[in-house]
Amino acid sequence: MGKREKIKVLISVIGLDGHFTGAEVVCRILMDAGMEVVYLGINQTPEMIVQAAIQEDVDVIGISSHASNYGMIVDLLGLLRKNHLDDISVICGGTIPKHQMQELKKKGVSEVFPPQSTSESIVNYILSRC
Amino acid sequence: MKRETDYGHPIKSVYTPKDIENFDYERDLGDPGSYPYTRGYYPEGYRSRIWTQRMTAGLGSSKQTNEVLKRYREMGQRGGMLVICDRTNAMPIDVDHPIGRREAGVLGWPGASLLEFEELMEDIPLTGQSITLLGSCAMSSIRLAYVVALAEKRGVNLNEVHGSVTEYPFCNTFGQTDAQPLDLNLKLWLDSSEYIVRNKIHMRSGILSQHFQESGGNNAQALAVEMAMLKELCSLLVNERGLDFDDVAFLPYELVSVGSRFFEEIAKIRALRRMWAKMAKETFKAKKEKSCQLLISVHTSGRTMTYQQPLNNIARCAIQTLAGSIAGCTAIDNACLDNAHAEPSPLAARMSLNTQHIVADETGVTDVADPLAGSYFVEYLTNKVEEEAYKIWSKIEDQGGIIAAVQKGYIQNMLRESAQEKHREVERGDRLIVGVNELVIPPEEDYQIPIQELKAGDSEGIARRMEEWKKTRNMPLVKAKMAELYSDAKKEERYNLMPSIIEAVKAYATAGEIIGVIRKARGLNYDPLEMIDCPFDFI
Repeated sequence: MGKREKIKVLISVIGLDGHFTGAEVVCRILMDAGMEVVYLGINQTPEMIVQAAIQEDVDVIGISSHASNYGMIVDLLGLLRKNHLDDISVICGGTIPKHQMQELKKKGVSEVFPPQSTSESIVNYILSRC
Repeated sequence: MKRETDYGHPIKSVYTPKDIENFDYERDLGDPGSYPYTRGYYPEGYRSRIWTQRMTAGLGSSKQTNEVLKRYREMGQRGGMLVICDRTNAMPIDVDHPIGRREAGVLGWPGASLLEFEELMEDIPLTGQSITLLGSCAMSSIRLAYVVALAEKRGVNLNEVHGSVTEYPFCNTFGQTDAQPLDLNLKLWLDSSEYIVRNKIHMRSGILSQHFQESGGNNAQALAVEMAMLKELCSLLVNERGLDFDDVAFLPYELVSVGSRFFEEIAKIRALRRMWAKMAKETFKAKKEKSCQLLISVHTSGRTMTYQQPLNNIARCAIQTLAGSIAGCTAIDNACLDNAHAEPSPLAARMSLNTQHIVADETGVTDVADPLAGSYFVEYLTNKVEEEAYKIWSKIEDQGGIIAAVQKGYIQNMLRESAQEKHREVERGDRLIVGVNELVIPPEEDYQIPIQELKAGDSEGIARRMEEWKKTRNMPLVKAKMAELYSDAKKEERYNLMPSIIEAVKAYATAGEIIGVIRKARGLNYDPLEMIDCPFDFI
């Protein structure tokens, strides 16, 4: 267990992606598991997400992605490194093809959850990182 | 496993005449082609007209999408073309916007100017097939302007063009977002709709429950939301814009999401026809029979397409296509086997179109109109979903109608709750999904499918092209047309902006510029994302 009792997770959709259902479902799962969730919603840039992560002092950032805005997720990772926030785990979920899952992990995303991932797998993973 | 409809109504093991005790054939169904049109609009069913068999296109540049459209034609697309706009266009912002350039051509066609539409439609006739462009509401007026402008350029009679390029103002609420406020979307929708109706253009406007349902809503909610939208939007056109309902009735079309709950999906569509017919006649006092016939298209459900064991989706798609065709519809576009992975690959697109042809040509479904009519179960389900939908619709009316319900967050909460519940049902094993919570295989044993996607450099290429091209335009003309638009947009709310938008589009003003200037006139920031400044000095 990390810095505090309650794990704090930031959930966001990135770039121009407007598909928010997955992100909202995950928010509920994490709250039900006793975590504190900061939900940014849609149209968020990497800069906005990093700023919110600093302000809210989160342990984990979860990005919901609906096919192909991986470039921005990579930008987010870079920006976190630049701000010495490497200790924040970035996880992604959504319709992400397998080869992109591998690519994202290589670039620093700690885990990728494809569609139909169980609540348990997401919650347990976050618990293991904090 | 739960034996309940997707809206939570228990299902019995057998249905008998007792379950439809007050059933009255003439009152509840009527023959195909007769009021209340539960059985469809054509006495001869598909023998008079086979549904439009189409497939969604849109990825990469306009030229690439044009190539795909031509390939779909060879693959068996019949009756119409369907293009979905990309994310920049959904906002809308231009592809050379700092964020736009990262996502140009992602998940759709980057239609930010008339030039893009000209390239999209190169060597493709505007007539003889339905032209459907899907995208957000804010962009609708501009898409309509593209059609008007290109028809004029090609010397095509605008009244011979048919299809749909405009969409309803609530997409933001249902998970298909743009970056515009509801009042602006509503104004632009009313403007484009009034323009279509007054000019007798044969273009429909999508008032869609599909987005709502694909974002997690259930069948009864989808019906209720659809009816609430139809009622309020048609009322606004009649009462605020002074149009005759019998003219307005030709405007809306509904895209229904059809999932795998086979009988329920069929019941939903049959109920929708009956509900619209009754509303048209009783509420709006329709004088023409045609006004009682809501155009209904089917989209087989992308949400039901699983990431795991993607070939299973071929079976799902076939079941859903059969349901959509049995229910009776004007057009079908299918989700694809790779829906949960990426954009349709050529293989997936071919499979989807083939599925439609297999259903149409091999099963006999086109022989008989409304073949399930009279089934105790299907009639019961049709009554039940209608009854539940009326209850939900009445709650929406209690909120003050759909616009008020959206403003209060009522619809959003309903959708959120329903999406959560659907997730829980799968987690609990109440609903089984093969490959997900039943007959699961390890990921490493899963089949490999071809993946169609855009490379990061492709978006940048599209953006650079627009940047360069923008400089080659007749800028004094663009500026003059934008100044006119700005001044018109400052006039009263009911002043129709379509004519000035068409002029701006013809001068090759871009989508970002047009919406930006309208936003400025309404006291909003030029850029919805507040990253760039207005390039015009007249403001």
